[in-house]
Amino acid sequence: MDSIFLMNNVWIMICAVLVLLMQGGFILLEAGSTRMKNAGHIAGKTIFTVGIASLVFWAVGYGFIYGEGNAFIGLSDFFYGDASSTVDGLAGSIDFFFQLAFAAIALTVAFGGFAERAKLSVYIVFAVLFSALVYPVVAHWIWGAGWLADLGKQDFAGSTVVHLTGAMAALAATILLKPRIGKYNSDGSSNNLYGHNQVYTALGVLVLWVGWFGFNAGSTLEVADAFFGYVALNTQLAAAAGAVAALLIAWAATGKADVPTTLNGALAGLVAITASCAFVAPWAAVVIGLIGGLIVFASMKFFDKAKIDDPIFALSVHGVAGIWGTISTGFFATPELAAMNGGLPGLFYGGGFTQLGVQTIGVAAGGIYAFIVSMVILVVMKNAMGGLRVTEEEEIIGLDMSEHGSYGYPESFGGDSQKPGA
Amino acid sequence: MSTQLTTYQSVREWREQQMRSVARDHHTLNQFHEQVIYQVVQMAQVRMESEWGKPPAHFAFFVMGSTARFEQSVWSDQDHGLIYEDGAEPSYFLTLGEEISRGLEQAGYARCDGKVMASNRLWCKSQHEWHEQLERWLDERSWETIRHFLTFFDSRVVCGEEDYLDQLKDGLFSYIDKHPAVLKRLIENTSHIKKAVGVFGQFLVETSGKYSGCLRLKETAFFPYVNALRLLAIYEQVTETSTLTRFTILAKKHQKVAPYERDFKNLLALRLRFQANQTDYDSVHYLDMKKLSRADKKQLKAIIKHGRKLFMNAKEIVEKGC
Repeated sequence: MDSIFLMNNVWIMICAVLVLLMQGGFILLEAGSTRMKNAGHIAGKTIFTVGIASLVFWAVGYGFIYGEGNAFIGLSDFFYGDASSTVDGLAGSIDFFFQLAFAAIALTVAFGGFAERAKLSVYIVFAVLFSALVYPVVAHWIWGAGWLADLGKQDFAGSTVVHLTGAMAALAATILLKPRIGKYNSDGSSNNLYGHNQVYTALGVLVLWVGWFGFNAGSTLEVADAFFGYVALNTQLAAAAGAVAALLIAWAATGKADVPTTLNGALAGLVAITASCAFVAPWAAVVIGLIGGLIVFASMKFFDKAKIDDPIFALSVHGVAGIWGTISTGFFATPELAAMNGGLPGLFYGGGFTQLGVQTIGVAAGGIYAFIVSMVILVVMKNAMGGLRVTEEEEIIGLDMSEHGSYGYPESFGGDSQKPGA
Repeated sequence: MSTQLTTYQSVREWREQQMRSVARDHHTLNQFHEQVIYQVVQMAQVRMESEWGKPPAHFAFFVMGSTARFEQSVWSDQDHGLIYEDGAEPSYFLTLGEEISRGLEQAGYARCDGKVMASNRLWCKSQHEWHEQLERWLDERSWETIRHFLTFFDSRVVCGEEDYLDQLKDGLFSYIDKHPAVLKRLIENTSHIKKAVGVFGQFLVETSGKYSGCLRLKETAFFPYVNALRLLAIYEQVTETSTLTRFTILAKKHQKVAPYERDFKNLLALRLRFQANQTDYDSVHYLDMKKLSRADKKQLKAIIKHGRKLFMNAKEIVEKGC
């Protein structure tokens, strides 16, 4: 066997595992950012939604993205399984596994907007419908020879495809679910419903940060010229700049160097560089991450003021930073890297507004599609399933008990003695 | 003062009726608080005597904190203590302390979170016990005992033997004369001033909860003035407790202090203007920035800035003397 072929496959398999491991980061991040009474639920649902996403991706997701079809959707390769195929210089199964891990991440991002109040059945049904109807369509447009790919859309590892798509579904859910009990006061002021463990949240961010090297550097899909190292460098710089910028802006604006904001800054830097990591110079990666850190702070404030209760800041971190990251390549893409990786150079390199326009169209089209279809799915589900949200009583006792019958931290809640209705 | 007051509840009603008319002026307001507190203490003493008989010894009931400094706003909490003659049993005075606390609570003064009340053995002691406790606090110089000492220092007698408190304060001054290094510790304890204005010149307001958009007036604006004047009062052995009176006395000795008296008066007036309609103790410490005009904000920023300067000046003066 050709050693480069083998190395490519081993590298992408490692990256796929790294991306799958990001779910561990999400478990820690989400559980830490929410209240103790929902911790078991939030951790457990991440695992079963990865299960659902995998099965749906195998059945239809991969086919809708990469199958033979039209500019809107792919229509072959359902129930994927072919030991002999090669795609992009990789064994088909390796490519499939890598793509699957991305689809699962998009779903987990979407579920950020459901936290602490959605019914378990809603998670299950939406996991199926999002994995079949929302994510694969946007992914096909940009990565699967769809109409945005034809326009030269640059989204190297998925600022739009994965993060913005997930965040727009989260936005639809957040709007429909309405704020958690106790989040807003009658006079319109908002309360901090503090997460129960900042150490988990920070560790979650670190796991995600490490996993992101699979996400971004793995998106080279090959080891040739070790270009993945360059992508990893940009990724690291943007995450670092995002963390530092968010810390400083929170400190300057509020007088407190808020820990969740710093953590979100690192993630915003990562999300922002995801589209542009293969297109920009390292200095630009720093600027992209830095701006990501600043806008995530502003965005968190904005959603709070707009009374959109986003418990784990999915809208700000994955949505707003995703938009910025995608558009940033329209400014910063260098001629050499654009030639290597597709599309045109950015505005700052004499590329004019063409690429910037394409990036904006991509963000708008992907975002609007994901939002509208998610909204329609959720409205239909709401009517068919008697609402999306648990009852007030269930929300107050927590989803661990109301949806699963046992606490994530039984000793902290007096064990079985506090079972409702006992 | 009304002669119809027979219950704590009736004192509260009287307080509520009068409050609106007295709350326009800082001096009038504090004189009124003084009357209300005095009335409650008298009532508590009568009740004690009807059940427990006459006090077994002479005593002094004293107030501390904003009450002692004549700096109460519309609402304030309780801070008080008792000194009784050596040899007496504490039980009578602790019960009296509890009766006063109960009475003040019913009259509209929240109980002190930190239990700085005459019903607490820590703040209800004989003359000798007090003397020993104060020396122990200063000897120990821990964060907690220094706080206790600073709280105690802003104290004045409301009823009973004024001499008892004066004697204790004299004892404190001789301790400080012998151990001037303790002043450094007092400076350290009060040196941290909470930031109220950010790097962009914006007010650093609360960002969430009931008071979002509000400034914590007590910590950010009042404390630098109160702490600076208290430090100087300790240093110059001034027993007056009101910050304004401390200004009058100390400005004569220290030119640097004089200009800031006007700022402090403005701060008191500003608080009254915006807090007169507050309905509970917690909310008087927060100032809703939305209510302030541009000119008010400019004035408040200047007050906050000057508070820092005043504290630095006071620190410098006291440090030279240690």
